[in-house]
Amino acid sequence: MRESLAGSFVGTSVKRVEDERLLTGAGSYIGDLKVEGMAHAAFLRSPYAHATIERINAAAAQRLPGVIDIITGEEMQAITNPFVPLGMIDGLYTPLFWPLAIDRVRMVGDPIAIVIAESRYIAEDAIQLIEVDYEPLPTVANMAEATRAGAEQIWPRADGNVMFRTEADYGDVDAVFASADRVISETFESHRHSNQPMETRGSLAEVTPDEVIFHSAAQNSHGLRWVLAMATSSEPVLDSVKELAGPGRDKLKAFGAGAKAFITERKDDLGDADNKGFIHQVRHDPTTLKHLGKVFMNVLAQDERRRPRVVADDIGGAFGVKGHPGREDAALLAAALKLNRSIKWIEDRNEHLTVGGMAREETLSVQVAVNDDGELLGLKVDMTMDQGAYPAVPFGAATFAGIMRVMMPGTYRFKAYSMKAAAIASNKAKYVAYRGPWANETWVRERMLDVVARELGLSPTELRLRNMYGVDELPTKMLTGPTLDVRMSAKATLEKAIEVAGIDDFRAAQAKARENGHLLGIGFSTYHEGAPGPPDYADAILPGSGAMMAEPLTTVLEADGTVSVITAQMPHGQSHETTLAQVAADQLGVAMDQVRVIFGDTAKTDFSLLGTGGSRGGPMGGGATLFAARGLRDRILDEAADMLEANRGDLEITDGAIHVAGVPSISKSFAEVAEVVRTRPGSTEPLTGSVEYDGGPGGWVQATHVAFVDIDIETGFVTIPRYVVVEDCGELINPAIVEGQVRGGVAQGVGAVFYEKSAYDDDANFQAGTFMDYLIPTAMEIPDIEIHHLETPSDIEANFRGVGEGGMIGSPAALTNAVEDALAHLGVRITEQHLPPTRILELAGVIAPA
Amino acid sequence: MKMPTFTYHRPATVAEALAVLASEDDAKILAGGQSLIPLMAMRIGQPEHLVDIGRLDELDYIERRDDHIAVGALTRHAAAEDSALVQTGAPLLAAALGHVGHRAIRTRGTVCGSLAHADPAAELPAVALATGATFIARSTAGEREIPAADFFQGYLDTALEPNEMLAEVRFPLWPDRAGAAVVELSRRHGDYALVGLAAAIDLDDAGTIGGAALAFFGVGSLAVRIAEAEESLLDKTPGAEAFAAAGRIVTETIDAVGDNHGSAAYRNHIAGVLTTRGLAEAFDSIGDRV
Repeated sequence: MRESLAGSFVGTSVKRVEDERLLTGAGSYIGDLKVEGMAHAAFLRSPYAHATIERINAAAAQRLPGVIDIITGEEMQAITNPFVPLGMIDGLYTPLFWPLAIDRVRMVGDPIAIVIAESRYIAEDAIQLIEVDYEPLPTVANMAEATRAGAEQIWPRADGNVMFRTEADYGDVDAVFASADRVISETFESHRHSNQPMETRGSLAEVTPDEVIFHSAAQNSHGLRWVLAMATSSEPVLDSVKELAGPGRDKLKAFGAGAKAFITERKDDLGDADNKGFIHQVRHDPTTLKHLGKVFMNVLAQDERRRPRVVADDIGGAFGVKGHPGREDAALLAAALKLNRSIKWIEDRNEHLTVGGMAREETLSVQVAVNDDGELLGLKVDMTMDQGAYPAVPFGAATFAGIMRVMMPGTYRFKAYSMKAAAIASNKAKYVAYRGPWANETWVRERMLDVVARELGLSPTELRLRNMYGVDELPTKMLTGPTLDVRMSAKATLEKAIEVAGIDDFRAAQAKARENGHLLGIGFSTYHEGAPGPPDYADAILPGSGAMMAEPLTTVLEADGTVSVITAQMPHGQSHETTLAQVAADQLGVAMDQVRVIFGDTAKTDFSLLGTGGSRGGPMGGGATLFAARGLRDRILDEAADMLEANRGDLEITDGAIHVAGVPSISKSFAEVAEVVRTRPGSTEPLTGSVEYDGGPGGWVQATHVAFVDIDIETGFVTIPRYVVVEDCGELINPAIVEGQVRGGVAQGVGAVFYEKSAYDDDANFQAGTFMDYLIPTAMEIPDIEIHHLETPSDIEANFRGVGEGGMIGSPAALTNAVEDALAHLGVRITEQHLPPTRILELAGVIAPA
Repeated sequence: MKMPTFTYHRPATVAEALAVLASEDDAKILAGGQSLIPLMAMRIGQPEHLVDIGRLDELDYIERRDDHIAVGALTRHAAAEDSALVQTGAPLLAAALGHVGHRAIRTRGTVCGSLAHADPAAELPAVALATGATFIARSTAGEREIPAADFFQGYLDTALEPNEMLAEVRFPLWPDRAGAAVVELSRRHGDYALVGLAAAIDLDDAGTIGGAALAFFGVGSLAVRIAEAEESLLDKTPGAEAFAAAGRIVTETIDAVGDNHGSAAYRNHIAGVLTTRGLAEAFDSIGDRV
């Protein structure tokens, strides 16, 4: 049972705390920052997809008035370290690379030199004056070329262009396939597209006499801090080495013991996965060991300035891309340390489109074993991912392949399943996390289910209902391991969606519209997402990773009686300042304006590997806030009990006043408690409540999307007259914010399917470097989105599930299923995710394929 | 995406502006800046001199003269869009203006700037071609008239000499019993068109088609008229059959260039679809005006 608490903010659409600041222009974004003596950086980037660099002549550029320095690849190599792989996974080889290209460029936009000047204008003028001689190499523009015998190899130590391979079986796949009435096969392709937040990437390395502060639009301040420290660590500082050998031995020992304890405690969980990944990496590149050793030694025993304090403030969106420290960030810090000067770099839109990061270029061959009555039996998937030239830091395609492997069967009763996956290198930009980076498991599964239904003569909803785990079967486990607990309500969302969709009425309208050249379609998709997932979820993806997922959070009673919630979450549009304050205020019995959410500064926040990502803000941030605030409440009540000479158990808090139940006239305020603590002899620390929240029972978020499309068969233009989402994210902290997240995600799904494509030509020349080429839908193109909430009752506290990514996970399947439904009478099967008007008319047979 | 250095000139008179154009080798006129400024920010265009005519109010006019509507070099799209003279005297221009970017863009961008920029995906060059507009080029040496058919020479390329300013464009006064329509398909509201059509049609006394102009944009390096389709309409009874036949000729003839947003086959097909739709809309508009 829940403890009875005074507050009532959770569950209501409280107005966003952030809005007044952001909407009146008082936000503090990276582009707004100015510090004394700040110089500006710009990068010279490769116009070639693949070439050797024969010569660089920067003499004329160097002479341009206002140019401070120009650092090219070789010099940068001397003052930085390669990005050493941190997540080593079995079957994954991660090439070592430096912040700037040294003797070879591997993609259009590859950074070759950083120019530091008194203004960005001058820096860009200087870039035009740098002469580079290139010798073009054959290019690898796509998966077919990457895997062709004799193809140009992008990384000499790799196995051809294959960077990662993995394979897993669940159940007796061969026997199950042999037993099926039929096996249905199809291959699906999704295209490169990208996050494109309103604010591009950007950083300011601020050099002060005492410290280096790296301001950055980063989703994960602590992760960025350590990646930067490793990338820019120099030789160990002698004093530090001496200190470590002598008086500081305890520090070193403590660090070693801590690491040993960390590993020992998790030995069973960690298994041998890390070890295999490590061996695989070192076998491909033995120098990894040397660099790892050097980097760690240097990080431990060096100038603190090379371990910069990272500060992130307001961020104009990210959708995952700002969780990856950039090569540009490392180059910027190295330059600032070299010049002992503050330098700012703001990525422009052309750079962001070209090299900021792209996602989801994957081909999946799928086989489904099924009985003629629609019973799903087995699933085989063979996936190839195009991860581009340089792997994203600190994790990329291989990590997401693991999530896809676990999630692919969805909530359907498959008896056996196998997945093979490979990631190839190409001369294109890096593959990054984008809002539900594993989302193609949903797209491909839900698309394939429609294909299967059509072949069997069943309706898509009937096939789903027949095979989806119902509530009477819970709890159970997915074939891939994770538990589906009693709150798993995917099927309930589907049933509700069928009810509100009005399929019979739609079919009548569909028949009538065809007479007027309008083809209507309806498409369903159902998914579940591990946000945060059950306790056995993370380890099913990567053994040992569950241990890394905890969310630290501290609440503090400040001297003025307000409460600070200090989180390692890094809000970038998710409204943490509102939702975490709602949770804390309810726990503490105070008004929301008594609570302030603090984030982004590594000097103030607890260490977290993850920051904000994976839809963790609600479940992990919200849960951590709940328990930390409760801890603080307990300590406040302890103090107040002494002050009021009352029984601790008789106290309650009403609107910030602590009093004996039923006697509100005699009370103490939070400020009075803080004052007593502050002035107590010998006391220096304020009252706090801290947690390392492991997510508790966790759980799934689930939803069904229903898309309705209207295709003008003369033009191939698609409109979306109706879009329905039925979702269950557990207890809603703030319904308006949940709905905003859902709508934003669906909008990006609409963008992916009908508008957005990071296009390259057959020679890997990038062709979508402006917003005239890369089309993002506007409000005009996004439909009204009708949202229905289900909330499966539960006694679990902090029953919050994440909603950041789901809109984009569910929508591509619903939309492409609807397009196929509209065109099915013409014999059309949709196997690609991107469907611009040309493609619609080609598929419909109106025009000849290009 | 920061502009390179350039010398900024802000002449107080047209004569001063022309003098700068005459004396400097690489000078561009800055009017609304809606195309030029982004091109400079991307360093695709790097003129050494900009001549800002934004304060030359004498170039901001719309006038009805004997046989044409004259639009001055500084007349904003929005002013033309809102002008009763344009709506009655140059309805094809009026029909096009609502499609140019967004209203915010139209409050800065100018009619003559759009024409002098000569983007083949823009609406106004096609309007000029369809209506047989006349371009007035002015320099320190004097003034000359350039017919629309000669003005557009290639991708972002016109018959203007480097020392000339497009001072005015003249749209012939619209005949009675004639209809106008601009139809286009763009991926998003306000985008350049994938394909667009400026269509004009006029009827003779018998009610059959006396003349037609079909000028397409977004199909290649220049806006183009399809004479075969225009001729096919002559003396026909206006209606779905004739319009569809013209559309089929357009699809077969136009030979559009494809890109990532629409293949050549797609654009050829769409040009035909727009022909049918545009002619119907133009025909319907005759009733509105008479």
